[in-house]
Amino acid sequence: MRFKTILILLALFAVAAPLFAQGGAAQGSSDKQWIYISAGFSMAIASGLCGLAQAKATAACAEGMARNPGAAGSIRFALILGLALIESLALYTLVIIFAKVG
Amino acid sequence: MPEHELWLTKLFNDYLAGFGASILSLAGVHAENPARPWANFITMQILVALIVMVVFAVLGARLSMDRPGKMQHIFEVLYDFLRGQSDEVVGRHGRTYLSYFGTLFFFILFMNLLGVVPTFESPTMFPYVPAGCAIATFLYYNLMGFRANGAGYLRHYMGPVWYLAPLMIPIEIVSNLARPLSLTIRLFANMFAGEQVTLVFIGLAPLAIPSVFMGLHVFVSFLQAYIFTLLTMVYVSGAVAHER
Repeated sequence: MRFKTILILLALFAVAAPLFAQGGAAQGSSDKQWIYISAGFSMAIASGLCGLAQAKATAACAEGMARNPGAAGSIRFALILGLALIESLALYTLVIIFAKVG
Repeated sequence: MPEHELWLTKLFNDYLAGFGASILSLAGVHAENPARPWANFITMQILVALIVMVVFAVLGARLSMDRPGKMQHIFEVLYDFLRGQSDEVVGRHGRTYLSYFGTLFFFILFMNLLGVVPTFESPTMFPYVPAGCAIATFLYYNLMGFRANGAGYLRHYMGPVWYLAPLMIPIEIVSNLARPLSLTIRLFANMFAGEQVTLVFIGLAPLAIPSVFMGLHVFVSFLQAYIFTLLTMVYVSGAVAHER
């Protein structure tokens, strides 16, 4: 099963091989193209991890509010603070992208 | 990308160009186009400052104990909310800082919301404006720390025990410098990304769909103004805390 997964991944890399053909045609700008690709990948990774972290924070908050409805105000305050701080980590990636792309 | 001049900026540049150039030269800065020194975000900030002053002047004139109007109710809710947050984060003795927190909150909130009005744009979309607010906050919490603790405020940077000080001082300095940086980037990136997303969807989809993203941008404007103020309160509470 693991071997099949690795084979599929290698096949996908082989399918992406024509990408390198473009580098020969425009040598001067071949380095610039990697910026766009890496921008896409890095933003996707940052947003995905940020999504996971915010899901964990929200789940903990919902459970806390369910267990102790009297403390819902304080828990909500901690939730908003935590969510904004986690969100800002994904935004740092976005700022780098805007600085480098364009 | 050359900045498109808004009508207000055009007014400033047409009539007050010399004044703007002389103010810039006071700081030793030269505008890239000396004939048109006013930038969009400067005139938008001036507009927001005027709006805030007028709103609060009118509000103050119409304050009434027995027959409060609608505006008074709205601002009482906001004031109670800010005061409650400040009491929770800084403590009862932190009421003196509430004036700065309130000013910061309303200034950033009005700046963020100005972008929704048709011929204006949010000055917080440019990195200079959140940087200004963040530097002001950095100076404020350090000054309040010195005022509350005297020279003993520097003990905050030295860590819990004296022999860890050579290790803790660089760490504390870097973490304190990272605070205005993160405040700036958080506010700037949220506002900038909100506008970009709306623009992208205006290019892609008909009328109702970009307005959903504009609504999200309005919600994010409130949230980011609140978060900026909340983090300011947290930093001030850390700075004025008396060592036990």
